[in-house]
Amino acid sequence: MALSELRLLKNINEPGLATIEVYEKLGGYRAMRKALLEMEPEEVLHELEGSGLRGRGGAGFSMGKKASFIPKGRMDKYLCCNADESEPGTFKDRLLMQKNPHLLIEGIVIGAVAADANKAFIYIRGEYELQAEILERAVAEAYDRGYLGDRILGSEHSLSLVVHPGAGAYICGEETGLLDSLEGKRGNPRLKPPFPANQGLYQGPTLINNVETLCNAPLIIEHGADWFKSVGTEKSAGSKVVSVSGDVRRPGNYEIELGMRAGDIVYGLAGGPPEGRRVKCWFPGGSSAPVLTEADLDLGYDFETMAEAGSMLGSGAIIVVDDSMPIVSLALRLAEFYRHESCGKCTPCREGTNWTVKMLERIDYGEATPADLDVMADVQTNIIGNCLCVLGDSMAMPIGSMIEKFRPEFEAHIEEARLRHGGLPLRAHGGRADEAVGSHAA
Amino acid sequence: MAPPAERFVTFEIDGREVSAPEGSMLVDAAKYGDVEIPVFCYEPKLGQPVGACRMCLVEIEGIPKLQTACSTAVKDGMVVVTTSDRVKSAQNAIVEFLLVNHPLDCPVCDKGGECPLQDISFGWGAGRSRFIEPKRHFKKPIELSPLVAIDRERCILCYRCVRFSQEIAEDYQLVFLDRADHTYVGTHDGRPYVGPFSGNIVELCPVGALTSTAYRFRARPWDIEGSGTICTLCPSQCNVELTVRDDNTVLRALARDNVDVDDGWLCDKGRFGYEVTSARERITEPMVRDAGALRPVSWELAMEEAVRGLDRAGERTAALVGGQATNEEGFLLQFLMRSVLGSPHVDSRRGGALDPEQALALARPDLSAAVADLDTAGAVLVVGTELVDEAPILDLRVRKAVRRRHVPLVVATSRPSSLDPNAAAVLRYAPGADEAVLGALVAQLVGGDGERAKTRAGRASLHEAAEQLGMRRPPADADWSKLAGASADDVREAAGALRGSGPIVVIWGERLSHGERGRQAVGALLALARALGLNTGDGSGMIEIPTGANGRGLREVGCLPNLGPGLAAVEPPGLTAPEIAGALGDSLASLILFQADPLRTHPDRAAWERGLDRAGFVLAFSDFITESVGRFADVVLPAESYAEKEGTVTHPDGRLQRVRQAIGRPGEVRAQTEVLLELITELSGAPFSAQPAQLTRLMTDTVPFYRGLTLDEIGGRGLRWQDTDAAGQLPQTPLPEMELEPPPEPPEGLRLGVAPSLWAAPETDHAASLRFLAPRQQAELSAEDAGRLGIGSGDEIEVAVNGTSVRARAALRTAVPPGSVFLIEGTNDENATALTNGASRAVEVRKA
Repeated sequence: MALSELRLLKNINEPGLATIEVYEKLGGYRAMRKALLEMEPEEVLHELEGSGLRGRGGAGFSMGKKASFIPKGRMDKYLCCNADESEPGTFKDRLLMQKNPHLLIEGIVIGAVAADANKAFIYIRGEYELQAEILERAVAEAYDRGYLGDRILGSEHSLSLVVHPGAGAYICGEETGLLDSLEGKRGNPRLKPPFPANQGLYQGPTLINNVETLCNAPLIIEHGADWFKSVGTEKSAGSKVVSVSGDVRRPGNYEIELGMRAGDIVYGLAGGPPEGRRVKCWFPGGSSAPVLTEADLDLGYDFETMAEAGSMLGSGAIIVVDDSMPIVSLALRLAEFYRHESCGKCTPCREGTNWTVKMLERIDYGEATPADLDVMADVQTNIIGNCLCVLGDSMAMPIGSMIEKFRPEFEAHIEEARLRHGGLPLRAHGGRADEAVGSHAA
Repeated sequence: MAPPAERFVTFEIDGREVSAPEGSMLVDAAKYGDVEIPVFCYEPKLGQPVGACRMCLVEIEGIPKLQTACSTAVKDGMVVVTTSDRVKSAQNAIVEFLLVNHPLDCPVCDKGGECPLQDISFGWGAGRSRFIEPKRHFKKPIELSPLVAIDRERCILCYRCVRFSQEIAEDYQLVFLDRADHTYVGTHDGRPYVGPFSGNIVELCPVGALTSTAYRFRARPWDIEGSGTICTLCPSQCNVELTVRDDNTVLRALARDNVDVDDGWLCDKGRFGYEVTSARERITEPMVRDAGALRPVSWELAMEEAVRGLDRAGERTAALVGGQATNEEGFLLQFLMRSVLGSPHVDSRRGGALDPEQALALARPDLSAAVADLDTAGAVLVVGTELVDEAPILDLRVRKAVRRRHVPLVVATSRPSSLDPNAAAVLRYAPGADEAVLGALVAQLVGGDGERAKTRAGRASLHEAAEQLGMRRPPADADWSKLAGASADDVREAAGALRGSGPIVVIWGERLSHGERGRQAVGALLALARALGLNTGDGSGMIEIPTGANGRGLREVGCLPNLGPGLAAVEPPGLTAPEIAGALGDSLASLILFQADPLRTHPDRAAWERGLDRAGFVLAFSDFITESVGRFADVVLPAESYAEKEGTVTHPDGRLQRVRQAIGRPGEVRAQTEVLLELITELSGAPFSAQPAQLTRLMTDTVPFYRGLTLDEIGGRGLRWQDTDAAGQLPQTPLPEMELEPPPEPPEGLRLGVAPSLWAAPETDHAASLRFLAPRQQAELSAEDAGRLGIGSGDEIEVAVNGTSVRARAALRTAVPPGSVFLIEGTNDENATALTNGASRAVEVRKA
């Protein structure tokens, strides 16, 4: 069902919301005061944990639980806000940061109280230049008011906050790649364990949260965990900003109650595909989620239902693909993206993504046989679960799902492409196939 | 100090119960159960695992995903499976992925036959490939440096070379560039990867991507044999395995990992210097000077000439022993000198006498540290030596201690050191002021800030403080740091970093014992040892970096003018090297140069030129026509290279190591020990002969604290004599204590210091691969002094003293303190030794 009252996006269209004056006039920073002055850090943590808030960046891990992993004791502890929103189809954090930067800053202070962090960073996607500027301004305002810096509001808590733009690599949205990048290194994922909670930024304990996750914190502190849980499902509490894109008539960000029927989001809110077309498939959680079909639109849009259906809620980005899009083109476009963004550190991702692209190109050029689909499916299986981070899986899972669900279309495409090239036997019509045989066949 | 005892845990692997050390990674733990888990990127020597290649995936009960065995520590009760279908299919998959872009050009690849990628493909791969697409292409092979070729198509991006550059050599040059399947290894700035340790990446590479230019296409694994020996090109004495083809050519040097010596690394001099063994210009037949020129002659004639020359000079003969001589050679030579010719004038040092009492103190087992002690030390002090140039492998060992264990490092040198960035405290002092800086450290450790010394009561409490440290009296009241030309703050910081941090290892350079105040400097060093309590705890002690590769061994077998075998004092003492230079032509008539080239290595070049010129007879054992040999030798006997010798050497930490013959001797070259025995026989009239093993026995029997050491015991890994019963045979003397009187003020003006260079050596001249590294003389000075003198970086300048000058290129370095100028020692021309004479000297610097 649709949300009766907007939460995260409540005042989103209020003019001047990005300024601290307007934000405070609308009740901003009240939650921060409460957390700093009226609550013990344990209570803040308890409230966050009790709310059932799950990470909105993709993994869906309980935010409170993650904060509770930060070791106690006096040392530099870090909070990194992951604002490297790079998952194709996802643009909810951009909206939140651009329109309501102080909500994020307030959430960061509250998160830092819960985790006892004293240094915070917003690692923002390099292309978000405008949003970074807005954040910088907002951070300066917050410092001016004493909401950041030493002994905030006279409390025991001090927090520095730095906005750091990335340089355009998708992998730097992976939490440990983000940390390396923030440290000035090549942004490659790290081996886990050690987990960032124990050894993260500069080897110190580090809490890493997504923008939307942190933006929920002030609401939870202000209204309480029970209020937060009053919408959503048992395991997917609260509301969620969903970015709907692709073949829909009204693409955009919609805040919904978790558990809402997916079809109501795609058709009701986003207007469904253009006249005369049908939903062919849809990504429920960004491009790395296995695709679901039209029939699955009846499912509830929440973490557990999407997982049961063999996909995931991910970052909450619904990409709708209608029946005018050939599945091979979709797969190729997707694989090319992940091949381009693979960091190259681990073998299955580096080699598996480029192999998959090459196979899809061959299919598209009419140089494949249906047997190649088995190889391609097997390659996806070989990637999944064997990589250093989840980037490899992010390609292999959707590609695997496409082969599984649209195999007849792949086969038809292979046949059609072969005929388009004159129906010559494979490897006989010059160009790429010859090259493959001549110098590289193993 | 012994590393803490390991605790063992029991786990199950492939159905068997196995005990393995707690905390070890599964890859290593599995070996305890004879289970091999394949790896590419895992190499514990490189630090933390990176988990990049994914070859070592295993199944662990209770964990849903496969885990990398290289990064998972074994736990009690863990159940690990490496043979399930799931694991096998993952292993097959990784091999298949790795070969997707690998060219599989094994037939023309140097690595073929000794290639982990081949082995693992065979052992854990599916034996087929389904990849029929075009592979990625790079231009290849290209020069990563003049020494290393890179074939980026073969590279499997295992990270080893990059980690070596980043975490071991810490030169930070190699990085991964680009990403995904376009990723490739290169230097961050695109310039050649040149550094003292670059060759190690060739050995680390698990495929044929990094190959040595010198070895490329020279042999296949079935053409070659490995021969273990010791590299004697520097005091690090790394354990090497020489790759030999046809019994007569060394084609390659590989590390023979010995954690007690080298940690499995080699410097590029050690790795590529083997080329000297087959250099075309090597002397392979005896020569005699005839009408001013050296001409090849038969051994008979040469020996006749040699015997005649030595016989005529008799006790008026002197001998210089070069650092590459083995213990046996040194022992025979000093025997020839002392017992046959009756001359005590034999020296293996360059800078004057070592006090006998001090020599015994320095050899004390309780004062000597082992290399491996650096792995457990609480603090490290490097004083008066530049390790990367004088004993490169120890430079890596010190870096390791700092990087892995955050050990406080104090670097006390007059010239900026490459270890400065790693140091907790840097103590810079004036060239030649070693004595003063050591005194300053002692004074600081005993008395704190020196204020105490100013009152009578303070003086009394100083005495107490000194007594508590076991010293009879505190250092004299003086402004020690000023005398050292150092800042008092630096001295305070350095002392602070050393205080109370557990066992301390002091690495010091033999050079500081050279010159006219060398004895006082060693006195101050021993006082520092006492103040730091080096003799009290396990795991603490000193390591002396000698100027010659086997400096310690030669000292202990009797190649010093005042010390015979076993450091026994000789009365009356013979002349030291500088004295020999002065006495040639007067009280001395002839000189033996045993693999020594004083014109290149010894201070006061002018004195040596004069002395050699005036010597009536010069007999040289040499493998190359060095300047000393070419200009002054009357008889030249071809010397063996280190790859041809049989014998022992002694590591700076007291470890006796075996040098084994790897190749046949070229041409007419004979074993030098054999030649020395023949000379002894001819000159004494009594027949002497001995097999190499008997010679070693003779030598160890004569040196009391080597007594009983057998070649078998020394074996392939060496043995520290301090760790044997024989150590008790070192004469027990109290730790000598000198009164620390203030040294003279350093001279006014620009003070000359020498910069040792790894590459200012004959190996650079004669190993074709290394020739590009031969240094040109340069003078390092501060921008401040340069500005004052109107000198710009790169200017041609002259450094002069008393009418002698050396031409050099000006190198302005910000880290050089004003008042100091440094010249490279041992260059082929414009050598710094033209200006050094064992005293602290001020020089004039001007534009040329």
